[in-house]
Amino acid sequence: MIAALLPVDHFLIMTLYALLASSFFALLWRETPRERWKLFATLMASLVLGGLAVAWLMYPFP
Amino acid sequence: MSAAPTEAPRRNPLAAAALAWLVPGLGHWYLGRRRVAPAFAVIVTVAFLLGLSLDGRLYTVEAGQPLTILATFAVYGAGLLNVAARLLSETPGGTILSPTYEYGCAYLLTAGLMNLLLVLDAYDIASGRKR
Repeated sequence: MIAALLPVDHFLIMTLYALLASSFFALLWRETPRERWKLFATLMASLVLGGLAVAWLMYPFP
Repeated sequence: MSAAPTEAPRRNPLAAAALAWLVPGLGHWYLGRRRVAPAFAVIVTVAFLLGLSLDGRLYTVEAGQPLTILATFAVYGAGLLNVAARLLSETPGGTILSPTYEYGCAYLLTAGLMNLLLVLDAYDIASGRKR
């Protein structure tokens, strides 16, 4: 079923997840467009960069 | 003589919460939040469908596995999406051997939890706790 929609690409799946979660919380927790964009950018950057950092830290382990 | 201030019509908090649970975004639509409601609907639905597509599991409670209670509660948060998926899916238990199984589970759980947050938000807006 997966092949129909997405390639098995960990970074793509993680980035899509970050996009959905960031959009959701920006719309839920903020009222003005400016505030929403700011929270969206903060959450998106934190999730993607945090994910990359954890992946890098885990790299030496089998 | 001054005119009485106009107030937004009050809505039933339980109806708002029930609609929000049934269909993502419907509670906010009912409360007049016509701009964010479709966005919420798209976000939660896309997350749920991606979870299914990634071979995630529609959890059910299992004896001896207490964490499945929480996971089941989270997935049932997606309302009619969850019900429809259970009825229509050929593999509601997911495909554990799939390389994307864990991702699928994370997407499904997140979609359900996001919708539960929408339920609480709709209830708070309707009861006047949040503007």
